[in-house]
Amino acid sequence: MHESEVVDITDQNAVALACGGNPEAFSFLYEKNVTRIYNYIYYRIGSASDAEDITSRVFYRAFGHINTYVDKGVPFSAWLYRIAHNLIANWHRDNLRRKEVPLEDHLDLPHKADQPERMLEKNQELILLMKAIRRISADRQQLILLKYLEDLSNAEIAQIMGRSEGAIKSLYHRALIALREEMERIGYKSD
Amino acid sequence: MESKMNDMNNKGMFGLEEKLSSMLKPVMPDPVFMGKLKTRLAKTPAILIEKSKRRMGVIVVGAGLFAGALTVWIISKLKKR
Repeated sequence: MHESEVVDITDQNAVALACGGNPEAFSFLYEKNVTRIYNYIYYRIGSASDAEDITSRVFYRAFGHINTYVDKGVPFSAWLYRIAHNLIANWHRDNLRRKEVPLEDHLDLPHKADQPERMLEKNQELILLMKAIRRISADRQQLILLKYLEDLSNAEIAQIMGRSEGAIKSLYHRALIALREEMERIGYKSD
Repeated sequence: MESKMNDMNNKGMFGLEEKLSSMLKPVMPDPVFMGKLKTRLAKTPAILIEKSKRRMGVIVVGAGLFAGALTVWIISKLKKR
């Protein structure tokens, strides 16, 4: 064993090592990002099995193209989100003519600690909310999910989405308006 | 009047933001799925090799086409003589 080849993988060097073909570094990046990418996909499409499938494809694609990755100072996750975003668009295109799968058949139950009645009510609310979110444009959905699922700041979202912070603020405002309109359209009361 | 409407609008937005904040919670992917995917990724160094194979294929086809074109050109030159 060559001790000189053993390098500690950290947040700082993981991307560079992975780009250089270090599989442990890619595993490190996978561990750090898989949950957030899965969540993003899951909330965008509403199906756990499809979310798993697309998450796999995101990481396979990233792994296959890691040698072409150029570090531009934005988080590595931005690249993964972009791949996920494109694959979700393909998924929607492919599913356009298929019958829409009811979201309630696939939604996990994130409110497991609640009483059953309250849980059911919350899940119904979540289904309607997700229905409304999925009716707004893809970039608005992305912004809402990054903000509320990932709890990211406007500056961080701007880096991921490749826009200015001002553009994100304005997009966020428009996203809320569009979301409220969609909620009203499907008979959901936000207050 | 306009400021009152803006105020109402902001209140509505605030309610929506609160709702989003309370409803959108991260879900945990199936640990079995995560573990399997990690293992599969770790066992797939072939993806990079596959790419170089494709590149090699393009080079071989390109060289073949070039050689073919060159042969045709040489033959046509010889026929002219």
